[in-house]
Amino acid sequence: MNGALLRHAWRANRSRLIVVSLALALWGALNVVIYDSLGDQVRAILESGAVPPEFARFAQFGGGDFLSLTGAVALGFIHPIAVALQLMFAVGFAASAVAGEHQRGTLEVLLARPLARRTVWATLAAAAALFVATTVAALTAGVLLGAVATGRTAELGLANLPLQWLNTSLVFWAIAAVSLAASVSFDRLAPAVGISLAIVLVAYTLEVLGSLWPEARPLQPYSLFHYLDTKANLIGLPHWGDLAKLGAVSIGAAAYALMVFPRRDLAAPA
Amino acid sequence: MGAIETVGLTKQYGRRRLLRPHRSRGDVVLALDRLSLEVREGEVFGFLGPNGAGKSTAIRLLLGFLHPTAGRATVLGLDAERDSVAIRRRIGYLPGGVAFWDSLTGERLLDELTGFAGRPAIRRRELCDRLELSEETLRRPVRDLSRGTRQKLGIVQALQHDPELAILDEPSEGLDPLMQHAFYAVLDDLRAAGRTVFFSSHVLSEVERVCDRVAIVRRGRLVALEEIDALLAHRRRNVEMRLTGAAPALDGVPGVTAVHRFDGRLTCQLEGDVKPFLAAIAGAPIADLTIEPARLEDAFLEFYEDESEPPANAAVATGRSPR
Repeated sequence: MNGALLRHAWRANRSRLIVVSLALALWGALNVVIYDSLGDQVRAILESGAVPPEFARFAQFGGGDFLSLTGAVALGFIHPIAVALQLMFAVGFAASAVAGEHQRGTLEVLLARPLARRTVWATLAAAAALFVATTVAALTAGVLLGAVATGRTAELGLANLPLQWLNTSLVFWAIAAVSLAASVSFDRLAPAVGISLAIVLVAYTLEVLGSLWPEARPLQPYSLFHYLDTKANLIGLPHWGDLAKLGAVSIGAAAYALMVFPRRDLAAPA
Repeated sequence: MGAIETVGLTKQYGRRRLLRPHRSRGDVVLALDRLSLEVREGEVFGFLGPNGAGKSTAIRLLLGFLHPTAGRATVLGLDAERDSVAIRRRIGYLPGGVAFWDSLTGERLLDELTGFAGRPAIRRRELCDRLELSEETLRRPVRDLSRGTRQKLGIVQALQHDPELAILDEPSEGLDPLMQHAFYAVLDDLRAAGRTVFFSSHVLSEVERVCDRVAIVRRGRLVALEEIDALLAHRRRNVEMRLTGAAPALDGVPGVTAVHRFDGRLTCQLEGDVKPFLAAIAGAPIADLTIEPARLEDAFLEFYEDESEPPANAAVATGRSPR
């Protein structure tokens, strides 16, 4: 890993990181506040039987629900807004880290220095991991702030928040690792981002579809988001096997990138 | 040992498909074909060729950005593929059409690139002064700088750590004439300090002005590798004389070709040794005589005047121009 390159990545992304982190923290807090304001009414409506079960299923979007604080927090973590914000770094930074620099012509300037391609990859991977960890921490901190503000910390399981942070980080680290693998495989940004986003969209669709439609449930294990189990984490019963699977995806993508990047030709930017 | 040595260096882009080889022919491009040359330590070496001739491919192979299909290259005695990092520790590189991170100021950019290189920028101040990069200019974001100023930054970043070997791809592109001369003076100093400079260009006047030797590539193949002076000595010079009487007999004089007489004038082309020509015109009634000096541009154009004709292999072997 190269410290100068890591600092360069940090300086280039810190403003965006601050904005995304603040947005995620706000989102996390807002979820708890909304649950605090509307949770009882929503639960009463759902339990009254007035809502047909087919529609009630929509309240269990992505494995979350509105029947408990942990369910509401789970909903907040898998919600498209939270996912889109997290993807700013897990895909936006990671996919452009090599392909974007190559397209702009700056990779050439960088690699004219005595930096091995593996070192460049490792540094960019570390930067992506750091950015993802920071944004997930902001989301987690937002939830904590919301719980403190509404006086619901006892329902949340504060001691298990680090576990939730780890699980969420592992999901987005895996996505970042896949995006970085795509990034080292292409000379242009568009295919790297396109493939990364396609993988995320398919994974997200499979997970959400399975949560809303029982017949699609067998497809869920093919989604990275399936291995984010917020409710289980917050009650202190994480699925360690799921965390290991997410780690394995990251390691597999990293191994691919480390094999491909040093061996491939870097043609002159168009 | 040369600063750069290549032996049969070949680069082919694209690959033939196993299932439909007949459909893949258009995908395979031979960008560099058995390039063998040596750049001596301490010389300024020009690498000439039109766009697409293989200049940048050769440079990218030397830097380890590309992997050769065949052949090998050594830079400062190190294998270009295996020891790429160690090579890049000792060289400076200016890419063609250099691009930077636009949001950084010029000063920040040079600082960060120094950080990546891990070598102090001992020549930065001097280079900035010579290329007229003021502190005020360096405090502006790169995106606000003109193309010429970015090119100056590119030159500074390549040379600021005083590398043993500078590899410069089209270095004077975008520089105004004054700055071009300032840059040539920098190259002269590098040569005087014993540094090696390898630079590609299609600006022939600058190659003629600064280089000790020149290689010319055409369609990925080396067609000439000569001292600048030797290359020019082999070029045809245009001769024109105004006569007050009978024209001298030039037919059959060694080195003299394309003799034309009209309206009291005589034009011809002269190649190689001038003595037989001077002997032939001695005593002739000449009122005025112009011998246009050989220019590299003429030499260069001769190599490319018949694009349909494949380059002669003999030229590669002898380093002489094809006739």
